[in-house]
Amino acid sequence: MTTAPEEIAIEISEMNMFYGNFHALKDINLKVKTGERIVVCGPSGSGKSTMIRCINRLEEHRSGTITVYGTELNDDLSNIDEIRCETGMVFQNFNLFPHMTVLENCTLAPMLVRKMSRTVAEKIALGFLEKVQIPEQADKFPGQLSGGQQQRVAIARALSMNPKIMLFDEPTSALDPEMIAEVLDVMASLARDGMTMVCVTHEMGFAREIADRVVFMAEGEIVEEAPPEEFFKDPKTARAKTFLSQVLGH
Amino acid sequence: MTSSQSASFFQSTFLNLRRDFFSSKIGGTVSLLLLTLLIFVLWTAFDWAILRAIWLAEDHQLCKLDDAGACWSVIAARWRLILFGLYPYDEHWRSALGCFAVVLTVVLSCIPRFWSAKKIGTIWLLGYGSFYILMQGGIFGLSSVSIDQWGGLALTVFVFASVAVIGMPLAVILLLMRRSEMPIISQTTGVIIDVVRALPLLTILFAAAVVLPFVIPGWMHGDKLYRVILGFALFFACYQAEILRGGVQAVAAGQEEAAKALGLSYWHRVSRIVLPQAFRAALPPTINQFVVTFKDTSIITIIGFFEILASGAAAFGSAEWGFAYVEVYVFIGLIYFSFVFCLSRYGAYLERRHTIATR
Ligand SMILES: Nc1ncnc2c1ncn2[C@@H]1O[C@H](COP(=O)(O)OP(=O)(O)OP(=O)(O)O)[C@@H](O)[C@H]1O
Ligand SMILES: [Mg+2]
Repeated sequence: MTTAPEEIAIEISEMNMFYGNFHALKDINLKVKTGERIVVCGPSGSGKSTMIRCINRLEEHRSGTITVYGTELNDDLSNIDEIRCETGMVFQNFNLFPHMTVLENCTLAPMLVRKMSRTVAEKIALGFLEKVQIPEQADKFPGQLSGGQQQRVAIARALSMNPKIMLFDEPTSALDPEMIAEVLDVMASLARDGMTMVCVTHEMGFAREIADRVVFMAEGEIVEEAPPEEFFKDPKTARAKTFLSQVLGH
Repeated sequence: MTSSQSASFFQSTFLNLRRDFFSSKIGGTVSLLLLTLLIFVLWTAFDWAILRAIWLAEDHQLCKLDDAGACWSVIAARWRLILFGLYPYDEHWRSALGCFAVVLTVVLSCIPRFWSAKKIGTIWLLGYGSFYILMQGGIFGLSSVSIDQWGGLALTVFVFASVAVIGMPLAVILLLMRRSEMPIISQTTGVIIDVVRALPLLTILFAAAVVLPFVIPGWMHGDKLYRVILGFALFFACYQAEILRGGVQAVAAGQEEAAKALGLSYWHRVSRIVLPQAFRAALPPTINQFVVTFKDTSIITIIGFFEILASGAAAFGSAEWGFAYVEVYVFIGLIYFSFVFCLSRYGAYLERRHTIATR
């Protein structure tokens, strides 16, 4: 089967990444199609964060290629800027800008990077704040919101740049249990809208429900890749079996 | 407030006082002793400065009497020398206006509403332009006054404001170079900062005033005053750069990552995300640095500038007023105090402003 090149959102091939001498990612190959929803899981320290942070150059890979919508990630700064515009990222610790209101958080990049006027940017941002169900918090500062609310703002902030791909790095891990659902709901609705998503998470229920594919990593390698039904019911490798029994065990 | 409320207010104040200061025998005795001492000192000062003081210039003979207090006659007689130094007597209004222009410029640029490059730029251009035209003269029918004759408060304020306005951007540049990913740049900057900080301010000012003309071409000399201001600004910038670096370290690493992930350019990341937060974190030491710098301006006396402390010394320098130095220093002290007090109140205002904003 061949896919038209524009349908491939992210293509990673033979990618290696090092922290100093430490080989953090080993020969990574991954293809993500437009509209596909990937959940990445694996034990702590297996390189999940590192991998998705390579996609928007928060970490630099040493060899192999990463291509996002036909643009190769290399030392060309304009390529990096282009790819960062097309990919939104949501972090475990929200990383909202504490000195700006919620609305300013969401309009900053559209105004500076996409050169939108304030009125247009605010209109778009308010639309997304509505989508994540906190339009009434627009004029508050991040410090005045709960964790779940902050993470939803972070999602709205990323969406305001109108990205083609969303990267999530454990978006619910820093949240109290009662707030996890509200964030997962927003993510699920994004998935239903057809957003291309790469999501590092330990929320296996969420993976089962919305993922097209689960990518299991261990020790810097992609060990297994399978649709969720298959992965959860019948993991092929011993490491995946151990991992699942630990995560689902309690 | 009803009477019962006010009664309970006084009662609780009384109880608090008793608890804080008179809870034990020793504590109570110490409190009483200190209170007596305090009252005594305040009363002596009040008696000297107000009750027994001689106020009018023409009364200065009375100052010699044994029971005379403060001799404010010296201020009444010599205040123009203190405030304007050697500036030509008939042109003092120009020095006063020039001083006002600089103070106004500083005050306006402290108001958040004017914090955009364009507005601040306009304010400084106008403020400095009018200061220069007023002080220097030579146009608009103003007689020309050479820089050697500038002095007093106008000079002090001018040097302070110039050091701040040149030093602050320079500090930011040094900070960014120090944080550069290229080791050559960051290490060289580190060495420059360390060297400048290791030298006493006086050495740097002397070098700028006296040594620099030997090593740079003639057309770059400018006036000694401007060279001294540049040297002072460099000194300020090296300290301030380190203060800001502390502020940058207080900004979470995730902040810059989030800005990168949104596609913000280096300059936007620095100017919108990192620096605003770094300045907030570094606010108390920054205000401190301004206060120290304001007081340090008095050091330029040694290189032959007639700033307010020097013109004050001149005010009691004649045989006639030689005895009244305490009064002159008290007067100058009050001037310094009012500036520094405004600075620290402003710092407190800024801190309150963003704790309210981010709470
Ligand atoms: N900045 C760094 N410098 C050196 N080593 C690092 C750095 N960041 C991560 N590592 C190492 O790289 C490996 C992969 O880290 P990574 O953060 O990608 O793991 P992860 O799968 O996201 O784990 P977790 O589930 O705990 O978030 C780990 O062994 C980690 O110790
Ligand atoms: Mg991680």
